[in-house]
Amino acid sequence: MAKIIVVTSGKGGVGKTTSAAAIATGLALRGNKTVVIDFDVGLRNLDLIMGCERRVVYDLVNVIQGEAGLNQALIRDKRVDNLHILPASQTRDKDALTAEGVEKVLETLGKDFDYILCDSPAGIERGAQLAMYFADEAIVVTNPEVSSVRDSDRILGLLASKTRRAERGEDPVKEHLLITRYNAARVDHGDMLNLEDIREILAIDLIGLIPESEAVLRASNQGVPVTHDDNTDAGQAYMDTVSRLLGEEVPLRFHELQKKSLLSRMFGGGRR
Amino acid sequence: MSLKMDRASMAFTFKGGMLPMTVMELASADPEQIREQLSGKLSQAPAFFQHTPVVLSVEKLDEPHLALERICAVCRTHKLLPVAVRGGADPVKQSAWALGLGWFPPSDGTRARSLEEVPPMVAPESGVGEPEVAAAVTTGGRIYRGTVRSGQQVSAPEGDLVVIGAVNAGAEVLAAGSIHVYGPLRGRALAGIHGDNAAGIFCRELRAELLSVAGNYKRLEDIDPHLLGGSVQVSLRDDQLGITSLD
Repeated sequence: MAKIIVVTSGKGGVGKTTSAAAIATGLALRGNKTVVIDFDVGLRNLDLIMGCERRVVYDLVNVIQGEAGLNQALIRDKRVDNLHILPASQTRDKDALTAEGVEKVLETLGKDFDYILCDSPAGIERGAQLAMYFADEAIVVTNPEVSSVRDSDRILGLLASKTRRAERGEDPVKEHLLITRYNAARVDHGDMLNLEDIREILAIDLIGLIPESEAVLRASNQGVPVTHDDNTDAGQAYMDTVSRLLGEEVPLRFHELQKKSLLSRMFGGGRR
Repeated sequence: MSLKMDRASMAFTFKGGMLPMTVMELASADPEQIREQLSGKLSQAPAFFQHTPVVLSVEKLDEPHLALERICAVCRTHKLLPVAVRGGADPVKQSAWALGLGWFPPSDGTRARSLEEVPPMVAPESGVGEPEVAAAVTTGGRIYRGTVRSGQQVSAPEGDLVVIGAVNAGAEVLAAGSIHVYGPLRGRALAGIHGDNAAGIFCRELRAELLSVAGNYKRLEDIDPHLLGGSVQVSLRDDQLGITSLD
């Protein structure tokens, strides 16, 4: 049975879809059969980030409503063999999703895949609740700012009460904190919350810290998940996150101000 | 608040309460023997004998008829105030009522806390709905372990609420009694929600958005900044919410 992981945050624009795409790619690169599902019906983005927007024919809503088979809707990633994308519908709204439909899709996918990543929409409404409902684990994406932390806190409360595991009284959804757009220099100046503050408020395990990086924006616009670019700090940070998700111990990087950044930029060739 | 207003127009309200109570477990029915022992105790701990209410437990006595009136008199002369009798056969119950004392069924053994020895197990009388005042265990309170997160509400509608963890911003904790937070209190805390003026709020790290005791509240903005981040207690004094440091 596949492990179902929801990527969620409450707040919009913190990097859920980017993270879902990057982590799914990383899991697949490490040899796991992975599918990533876009739950943001009506505001479809995952296909763009994954660079497969021109190959979308059928989507999640079509499958749920019986208009297409799951295999017709699944898009095979061009770069990694064992990675698939299940896009969202752009023309419907989130009411088109039903709990029974989602459950059936996840059940069917669970027979073939090792990991199912659910890319949650922002907010705490139906789309977000359905994305998290069947999850075994949750990656809560948080930016180092007060509003994002509070929204993540809210989502953590829902994960503990509004999921199938919670309702059935099973082991709770395993919660992981992923901090994105972390800028060590701005944290140092006190413009942003620091790592310890966020961890203290949310009180869950940190699975990764992604530095604010130009590579992320470039990757999004090119439709190539940043994990593919292992010369970049963000790419490496996502790969570290994937390793931790797979149960490996990896020391935390990129959370401290790099004093020698100028030198490494001149000689390291980090950016191309 | 509406609850409080309704209550103000009533002559009284019934409230369930679990009061600490001294149980005097009788091993002898002889008033003279009791008097002797009481005199000894009185000289040892005079502070204890201040018209202290006691429940006379006769569970261990196997005597259908007791000189209950004489035993009570002995107690009163030693500044103990018998308020009820626990256990015993029907004649004991009748004479307790005749003396204006309450009567409790025998303890069920599991809830009684004996200071000296474990009392023998006595089957509880079924069908008796009287709360057992003498029991040391309170009900209605609640202990919550974990973080109370934004949007969550944790309440203890009948007693104290203890949170072992943080109450985050946007979360709300409520209790009929007091609220104790062993962690940072960043959300809203409302104690004494049914109007209990004696309730308080206690926390390890004060960052609360709102503090309220029996409807009297303070917002974060009203709190002396020097107290923020510290360990404090909050209580009502002359209808004013007072916050004092515990450090």
